[in-house]
Amino acid sequence: MNLAILIPLLPFLGFLINGLGFRRIPKAAVGLIGTGAVLGSFAIVLSLFSGFTGTAQVVPVYDWFTVGDFNVSFGFQIDQLSLLMMLIITGIGSLIHLYSIGYMHHDEGFGKFFAFLNLFVFFMLLLVMGSNYLVMFIGWEGVGLCSYLLIGFWNKNPEYGYAARKAFVMNRIGDLGFLIGIFLIVARFGSLEFASVFPAAAQLQTGDAGLFWITFCLFIGAMGKSAQIPLYTWLPDAMAGPTPVSALIHAATMVTAGIYMIVRSNVLYTLAPETLHIIGWVALATALLAASIGLFQNDIKKVLAYSTVSQLGYMFMGLGMGAYTSGFFHVMTHAFFKALLFLGAGSVIHAMSDEQDIRYMGGLRKKLPITFTTFLLGTIAISGIPPFAGFFSKDEILAHVYEHSPLMWGLAVFGSMMTAFYMFRLLFLTFFGEFRGTHEQEHHLHESPLTMTLPLMVLAVLSVIGGFFNVPEILGGTAKLEQFLDPIYQYARQANPEAFAGVHLDHSTEFMLMGVSVAGAVISIIAAWVIYISRKSVPAPDEQVSGLQQVIYRKYYIDELYDAVFVKPIQALSRFFYSVVDKGGIDRFGVEGVGRFVKGLANEFRLLQTGATGFYVLMMVTGIAVILVYSLRSLIFG
Amino acid sequence: MLSIISLSIFGIVNLFLGFLKSRRILLPATLLFLIVALILNSMDWNQQALYFGDMLRVNNVFVNFAGIVLITALLIVGISRHFGNDEEHTHPAEYYAILLFSVTGALMMIGFENLIMLFVGVEVLSVAMYVLTGTDKRNIRSNEAALKYFLMGSFATGLLLFGVAMVYGATGSFKLGGIASYVQMASMYGAVSPLLYVGLLFLFIGMLFKVSAAPFHFWTPDVYEGAPTIFTAFMSTVVKTAGFAAFYKIASTAFAGVYGFWAQSLAVMAVLTLLIGNITAAYQGSFKRMMAYSSISHAGYLLLAVVAKVPSSQSAILFYSLSYSLATVAAFGVLMAVSESRQFEGRGDDRYEAFNGLAKTNPLLAFVLTVSMLSLAGIPLTAGFWGKFFIFSAAVQANLTSLLVIAVLMSCVGIYYYFRVIIAMYLKPAEGEGISVSAGFTLTLVLTTVLTLLLGVFPDVVKNIF
Repeated sequence: MNLAILIPLLPFLGFLINGLGFRRIPKAAVGLIGTGAVLGSFAIVLSLFSGFTGTAQVVPVYDWFTVGDFNVSFGFQIDQLSLLMMLIITGIGSLIHLYSIGYMHHDEGFGKFFAFLNLFVFFMLLLVMGSNYLVMFIGWEGVGLCSYLLIGFWNKNPEYGYAARKAFVMNRIGDLGFLIGIFLIVARFGSLEFASVFPAAAQLQTGDAGLFWITFCLFIGAMGKSAQIPLYTWLPDAMAGPTPVSALIHAATMVTAGIYMIVRSNVLYTLAPETLHIIGWVALATALLAASIGLFQNDIKKVLAYSTVSQLGYMFMGLGMGAYTSGFFHVMTHAFFKALLFLGAGSVIHAMSDEQDIRYMGGLRKKLPITFTTFLLGTIAISGIPPFAGFFSKDEILAHVYEHSPLMWGLAVFGSMMTAFYMFRLLFLTFFGEFRGTHEQEHHLHESPLTMTLPLMVLAVLSVIGGFFNVPEILGGTAKLEQFLDPIYQYARQANPEAFAGVHLDHSTEFMLMGVSVAGAVISIIAAWVIYISRKSVPAPDEQVSGLQQVIYRKYYIDELYDAVFVKPIQALSRFFYSVVDKGGIDRFGVEGVGRFVKGLANEFRLLQTGATGFYVLMMVTGIAVILVYSLRSLIFG
Repeated sequence: MLSIISLSIFGIVNLFLGFLKSRRILLPATLLFLIVALILNSMDWNQQALYFGDMLRVNNVFVNFAGIVLITALLIVGISRHFGNDEEHTHPAEYYAILLFSVTGALMMIGFENLIMLFVGVEVLSVAMYVLTGTDKRNIRSNEAALKYFLMGSFATGLLLFGVAMVYGATGSFKLGGIASYVQMASMYGAVSPLLYVGLLFLFIGMLFKVSAAPFHFWTPDVYEGAPTIFTAFMSTVVKTAGFAAFYKIASTAFAGVYGFWAQSLAVMAVLTLLIGNITAAYQGSFKRMMAYSSISHAGYLLLAVVAKVPSSQSAILFYSLSYSLATVAAFGVLMAVSESRQFEGRGDDRYEAFNGLAKTNPLLAFVLTVSMLSLAGIPLTAGFWGKFFIFSAAVQANLTSLLVIAVLMSCVGIYYYFRVIIAMYLKPAEGEGISVSAGFTLTLVLTTVLTLLLGVFPDVVKNIF
């Protein structure tokens, strides 16, 4: 048996053990099993990674089903891309599991939580390991389910339940797109296996109309899962879930599934430049919109959530430029620093006795030194200050954007300035100045236990050095990641070599671009410093906010807009269908009519069963006579 | 082939074990015998051979069908337990012995190469079943059922024998090969003897009676309801599997040449079977009687595969028989446990109401029954879904579109009556106390559930064997 099978199997076993026995297994064992399962997977992934020879390999698990000539197998694809994703999922996954031991310690649903978390890791691994689109889709749906379960984990609060439902429904809209894309792939290529779809696609022409629809539908799926306009509003609401969930699912792994899927399907996208164009603009709009909303949010997790939406926008922007590696590189670095920031926020919330509003925090750096230091490192990383991780990955994307269109580049830099501003605003309001909470909260302030701070420290180190995995040549690096991932673009390169010609910027332009974006970030940081440290201003209470700020604070009223345009009319329509069409028509004449008919018929049939043997034999003989006469009619009647 | 011989011997051994004072050894011994037979059976894999003067053919189809029959018998013996309460009037050694003999008969029906052997097999199986139906001697319903079964069964046997004789008269052969070559030649020259047609019809009618297809199903509800539940389970699984194995064999080999002659009548009967089985099942108040009609309806689906007569029909019948047997054993097992502990009008309660709130008192039993019902209804992720799927795709290959539409509609009706019991278990308040069952009993039921789910998720694993 191949070791690869164990990778998803271990978390699944963890889920079974904790899921079936969470009432009986003691807390210590639950945490150990849950974390151990993911850590075990991580160890296997590491060993696979170190023994990886560079050739992609498909591990067949079993033949799932065969319909005519169409065979669907259940298999795992082990290659550069899936290995990196597996490293992120299991690596960060184990850290977050460890963190959850401390964070969820007082929760009564401790066992259930770990079971769901393990289940999530299982599905996420299926998603990235599947060797065809169907296995990927199973994982895709599975992570959606786990996300739903975990957002609504504290389901006693109906608000959280609504948030979970919203996430589920929005994802379903995207999933429908993904599903149609899969059907189109089957119709076009007659297979769902990556190994047969991609070579076949490589034979096609750039701008093929069928490919446009396939890639567009797949991108709709990605919009839902990775929170892009117009399907992004679920992600900020998803912060209702426990913070480790936000870190793992809604920042580091699940939301990047859309990016993974597009990088995986790079052949298809390379041949569909129109789709890439759409992706580029949608991504830019998402990045700017989310960043601007992030400027005025006061909930520590909401800020991070909008920042996630915005950063996802940057990743898609990279993909839209055809720079798959840059987009994926940002997935990696973002996984490090965003997980760190969320876990840091969790540590703050933990210390603040579940307070999440930054207006009531302040001055926490002395009480929470480790959390503060690591949070600071994460903030610098996301703001794009060299040599932290975010700088390298974001800068790569920006360089590609500049090559494509300087206008888009300008807007993107503006977005990254906003990023730096709202992140430092968050940092300053939380950790600097005077404490603004209640006396009781102040009394309770404490640094989190080691199970929580250890993951913070590990992630902080990764956030600092993560960028060095792919230092561009201009800065004296060798672009390791780029070289490593190169084989997965084999077919795309074959189909459309021009798209992979590389960045043609000369060194001085490149230095200039870097300089501008770093300077922009520094200016933003200084501005935040002036406002929130020197002038010590604190965001006003909700009712005093007005004007444009009010519009932004209320998230441009997008939720209300969706409600008025989609939800309300659909509800009205559904009420109409329910009361008039269904109750009056279908139910009365259709469903119940058929039911009555069947029942009436059944009653007649039932009466045939008299119980008298003589009658039965008579019926049989009649039957035989009819059959004989019918079958032999040509013999009898000539 | 060794499996047939060994089972006959084991049956006799079982009779002698009956002389022992302790009856405890009987159950494990029978289980052991069946397991030995199963092992001997699997040793015949890839061994093509003819035995007993070319009267019996052993090949992989035989091994597969025999395997299903033996596994089903094993599971049924696994849930058999309450023979021994009424010391005076029960004779477990004889029951187990007769059970083994009837399995021998089933194997003969599966492997026959000669119509004489088919007849012997059918009789060995049927006579055993008449006896087993009447084993609840003090129960008047059991007696009535046995007598009814015997009377009507004899009638059908007569027809079967009549058919064999006429086919012999027309073709001069009892052998499948001989009949097939006659049919081939005669239909080529357009000179098929009318005797063959009549004989074929009688032969088919005899077989249709055994698998309880309409309009020869009248015995089924009364006999199923009257017989002790454990033997009802046996009748609706082992007898049906063996019956369809024999039926398909004879239809697809000996009479393949006159397919056009019999396909149409058989199609009409398949429709009739589906309609009567499903629609009447929907009206029953008794779970056990519903299962009887449901078994008629499943005969209808299986007939669909026979009518289609495409190469994939055989594996479809195999898969369907297996999934159907697993689910049926589980359903009757839970019914046994429930109706024994809950009384209604002085006897075991087998109405739907008996299952009220079972999910609260016995979640495991409720789960087992739920999976079984889902599988019988053909819901995905259970074996029953793939069983129906394979049968329907065989029908598609044969272009039986209108038949298929009726079959699909009828399987919707099926959902109605299968889900009634699920609703009773999960949504109705519990009445009475939890039911205590033995570990072996539970283990067997859980095994059927696990197998049903495994086949539902990994259908190709088994399908590749068939």
